[in-house]
Amino acid sequence: MTNMIEVRDLKKRYGDKQAVDGVSFSVKKGEIFGILGPNGAGKTTTLEMMETLRPIDSGSVIIDGIDVSEDPQKIKYMIGVQPQSPAFQDKTKIKEVIELFAAAYGEKVDVMKFLRDVDLEEKADSYFESLSGGQKQRLSITTALVHGPKVFFLDEPTTGLDPQARRHLWDLIEDVRKRGISVIMTTHYMDEAEVLCDRIAVMDNGKIVAIDTPKNLIKQLLGRGFKKDQHVEQANLEDVFIDLTGKGLRGGNE
Amino acid sequence: MNKKSLYTVYIFFKINTKRVFRDKTALFFTIGFPLIFLFVFGSLNSGTNDLSFKVAILNQSQTSFSKDFVVELEDSSVFKVDQDVSSLDAAKEKMSHSEIDATIVLPDNFGAIAPEGDHPSGQIKVIYTQNNQQSASALVSLLDAQLKGVNAGFVDTQMPFTVAGEQINENSLSAFDYSFAGLLGFSIIGMGIFGPINVFPELKKMGILRRLSTTPIKVWQYFMATMVGQAVVGLISMSIMFAVALSVFNLHMVGNWFELAAFLVIGVITILGIGLALGGWAKNERQVAPLANIIVFPMMFLSGTFFPRFLMPEWLQTVSSFLPLTPIIDGIRLITTEGRHFIDLLPQLGLIGAWLIVIYVIAFRVFRWE
Repeated sequence: MTNMIEVRDLKKRYGDKQAVDGVSFSVKKGEIFGILGPNGAGKTTTLEMMETLRPIDSGSVIIDGIDVSEDPQKIKYMIGVQPQSPAFQDKTKIKEVIELFAAAYGEKVDVMKFLRDVDLEEKADSYFESLSGGQKQRLSITTALVHGPKVFFLDEPTTGLDPQARRHLWDLIEDVRKRGISVIMTTHYMDEAEVLCDRIAVMDNGKIVAIDTPKNLIKQLLGRGFKKDQHVEQANLEDVFIDLTGKGLRGGNE
Repeated sequence: MNKKSLYTVYIFFKINTKRVFRDKTALFFTIGFPLIFLFVFGSLNSGTNDLSFKVAILNQSQTSFSKDFVVELEDSSVFKVDQDVSSLDAAKEKMSHSEIDATIVLPDNFGAIAPEGDHPSGQIKVIYTQNNQQSASALVSLLDAQLKGVNAGFVDTQMPFTVAGEQINENSLSAFDYSFAGLLGFSIIGMGIFGPINVFPELKKMGILRRLSTTPIKVWQYFMATMVGQAVVGLISMSIMFAVALSVFNLHMVGNWFELAAFLVIGVITILGIGLALGGWAKNERQVAPLANIIVFPMMFLSGTFFPRFLMPEWLQTVSSFLPLTPIIDGIRLITTEGRHFIDLLPQLGLIGAWLIVIYVIAFRVFRWE
């Protein structure tokens, strides 16, 4: 597998604060790459520089051979972006939202196909504001893919969703990867990172402090002699919740 | 500018314009609100065409002549007689509030036949306060003229010199014809400025413009979609205003409708540029409101929306003639009331064109996606 993204020594400074301080990593084609870290660690700023939204102070981001700071317009055709809180103007039907985003790329698409991909075809004529949080996230994912991007960025996609909606979203993200799209996501949920991500970068104070597969990271920790209180259970509370309420996605408006 | 980028403009125009018609608040502000102003100003102006006086009549005489005279005054369309007033004190009170213009007093001997004479005589008293001097003196000469007619019936007199008025130019403008162009100017400001300065900061707050900025859409495409949409909505709104003005307030429209529509579109797009600059620049509503007021209020009062510019002192007329809204309102007025053509409006179009360039250069420079 070839590298889709090369990030080299990326830096960004806001006033006194070195928000991103020499970040380097690479992401392969069709890989799900997670960036973890406490708030203020520089995750979002790193993402925004890769998405052409913030000027890069120094270092470089190369996506499929194209330098982000040299040809941002070309990069925009290659990336899809899912913002932290998906929002859209009210009084807009969701099929129109898809139509608008496709048009932003100068394209006309089969709107219903994209709604079907995320189980929203029945909602085609509903206004954006009538969707539930999970439905908005799903719509936002499919709008980010209307132009067939090579790289897909998600910023904390499952924050505030119920367990069913979260699991459904994981499946969607897996589907995206299966199409050969590289996924870069940030999250605060460790279980999510463990289930979804092929590799993880842990950031703190603008630097990457560790980067590897979830398994290896855990192995390394255990190798350093870490011991958790022995407390092995065959299930956890979330398993109970899913068992009681089922995996079925709730269509209603939460 | 290729076909693909125009497709982007078309879809954004199409969907965003549909949204306006789904949004009751937006509909009220683009169509309902200017209509309310139209009705208010239309009703204010509709009565002013005929000269009339609000008066109280105190008839202290019992003669049949004076009774006939009072009936005559009450029947006249020039006088609106206040029937509630029966004493001089009540009349004074109403005059001090300007509820009536003057009081006509017929003294107790009015219309009586003097012992040595053979016809009735008397003197009318017109009582007025100092804030009503003008209408009172007009009233005095009006009554004087009326009495002359009465006199002629009793005494045969030949006046060596007389004056006669003759009205020409049947198609003269009513006050409403004149102020309608200003009302259109007001609705252009409402749509072009108050629309974007409310919508854009909201879109920024929700991160919608930011999300769009991750797509290849360009600022000019976004602006152009807004411009075309605004022009369409503006023409619809102003067509309704014209329909009401023509049918309810007897507007005299003598110009060419196509020229008028084209001119209105130019006006709408020019003023919209101010809204795009303000809304595109502002990060939030609080930032934009004071700046918008500084720009909108002088334009509203100095460009002739609510009162004609010829009432202003000379220097203020000169200054206000350079405001962007002034040539728009003047142009609308020249087309509707005088039937002028584009070729006659070159000074106005030139000034609008200059503003159009300045405004849009600024709007593109200061636009921010977030």
